[in-house]
Amino acid sequence: MKGVGLLLLVVLACASALLALAVGDQPVPPGDVLAVLSGGEASPVSRVIVETLRLPRVVLALLVGAALAVAGTATQALMRNPLAEPGILGINSGAALAAMVVIVGAGTIPESLLPVMAFGGALAMTLAIYALAWRNGATSLRIILIGIGLGALAGAGATFLSVFGPVAEVQRAMVWMAGSFNDARWPKVWWLVLLGIPAMALVWGMARDLDLIGFGDDLARARGQRVEIVRAGTVLATAMLAGAAVAGAGPIAFVGLAAPHIARRLFGPGHAVLIPAAALTGAILLVLADLAARRVMAPAQLPVGLATAMLGAPFFGYLLWKRRHE
Amino acid sequence: MNNPPDPVSRDMTADRLSVGYAEREIIRDLSVTLSGTGFTGLLGPNGSGKSTLLRAMARLHPVSSGRVVLGGQDIQRFGAKDMARRVGLLAQGAVPPEGLSVADLVRQGRYPHRALFGRWSGADETAVARAMAMASVTELAERPLDSLSGGQRQRVWIAMVLAQETPILMLDEPTTYLDLAHQIDLMELIRRLVDRERVTVVAVLHDLNHAARYCDHLIMLKDGRIEAQGPVAEVFVPEVIARTFDVDAAVQTDPFSGKPYCLPRGRRVAESTS
Repeated sequence: MKGVGLLLLVVLACASALLALAVGDQPVPPGDVLAVLSGGEASPVSRVIVETLRLPRVVLALLVGAALAVAGTATQALMRNPLAEPGILGINSGAALAAMVVIVGAGTIPESLLPVMAFGGALAMTLAIYALAWRNGATSLRIILIGIGLGALAGAGATFLSVFGPVAEVQRAMVWMAGSFNDARWPKVWWLVLLGIPAMALVWGMARDLDLIGFGDDLARARGQRVEIVRAGTVLATAMLAGAAVAGAGPIAFVGLAAPHIARRLFGPGHAVLIPAAALTGAILLVLADLAARRVMAPAQLPVGLATAMLGAPFFGYLLWKRRHE
Repeated sequence: MNNPPDPVSRDMTADRLSVGYAEREIIRDLSVTLSGTGFTGLLGPNGSGKSTLLRAMARLHPVSSGRVVLGGQDIQRFGAKDMARRVGLLAQGAVPPEGLSVADLVRQGRYPHRALFGRWSGADETAVARAMAMASVTELAERPLDSLSGGQRQRVWIAMVLAQETPILMLDEPTTYLDLAHQIDLMELIRRLVDRERVTVVAVLHDLNHAARYCDHLIMLKDGRIEAQGPVAEVFVPEVIARTFDVDAAVQTDPFSGKPYCLPRGRRVAESTS
């Protein structure tokens, strides 16, 4: 039953990717897209559009969506809170501060290092929060409180830079912070492949541990779980996932929160199925959101972060409405 | 490392144990031997350290000094899963995540029996089915947890610790918040586990008369110290109850069960006992 559901999601993901490859200022018939992908006969124009322009973008969107969704699923399990998302671990604020330093301090640091710096900022922030939250073990509440505090501090740092930085650079930084795939290239895809996929495998491998830790530290410990190791491993994997996503596309809101929700509604709370389901849901969501961002005001391209945010607001409304009617 | 726990290693001893939270010591220099068989009730007034003692003996709470010995070995030397195959503790007030079914919860008890990436085995399935049958929750297996009554939910938690298949079971106030009928159900269930399945049970209890009726041994705690311990007939006497709870009580014999029960008369008047 659930296997069939997962297969259906895979089909849906492929269909969304195909759609995103076909639709654009210069539409390519789906037959030609398939021909290009399978190395068959296709016009050179179609080949350039699909292979060089759209394929890296779609693959990046698939991977970033999956990474954010898995990071969100892990965070929600760890925090025992269905409204948690990787931003709680300071990933976005850390990455944003690092990106601001690179972009506004242009010239001192080569811009090609932006993904590295963003990833480093995200990881450093997560580690700092985790270290400060540690008192004979790190409780979820301490992680959340310290995450909010350090996040505000990093936000203040970024604002400080934006006030005194050159206007043009600051504006570029703001665009980066909206999250976008406009600049999708293969090297960014490799980020996700090298860091994101192992981290996703790690989280999936811990599915059973995430099931158990959701009951609370005490109960998990009494079942023989080494709670601190599970928590540290999950936090590290989450930071890698969300950090790689930020490095690839800038901070993108909402997918890490919504994809696990949707997958949980469809497949239930067991992580062995929930994690792949959330990954596929996130991939589909982000590919479609990016397609919308490209086409809504074509030829102008909106940042995909704007599209996800516009999807996110009604989703929250729906959650509120549902809670009230339960 | 995956050896099943030695079936004879059920004797648990706390040796000059001190346990506390931050600055406050709850238990000071306490030594006690838990009987390796039967049903032991842990009694004492609020804040006397019953739960803390249970948690320390199950290694859920770090000790500041002293040690706990199980089957001749310091429990600190056991691996996390190894410990959880020897002692199963059910603490109070755990809240399950939303949307789980009864079977989902009971399966968590199998955690210490599974290797890191080990698959769900036939033995796991059998243990879960057996545990659910023992706790009479088999018919509830597919029900969502949110739809259960308090009594049913408590039996489901018990099924989870039973699925853990430990020779020693520790229960922290298993009957709290249950109505009288469900309290009796649960005490009868524990009795059956002890008599038929040869499980050793240690439980924090609040109802003195239930404890006297169903337990084999009693341990009375006050201010983090052992006030008395031994077979029910020896410990369940007016002097001990008065010392432990500061309540004057008469103890009589229940003509139906032949077990003692107590009738509290009132708070103990300050006097120089001993």
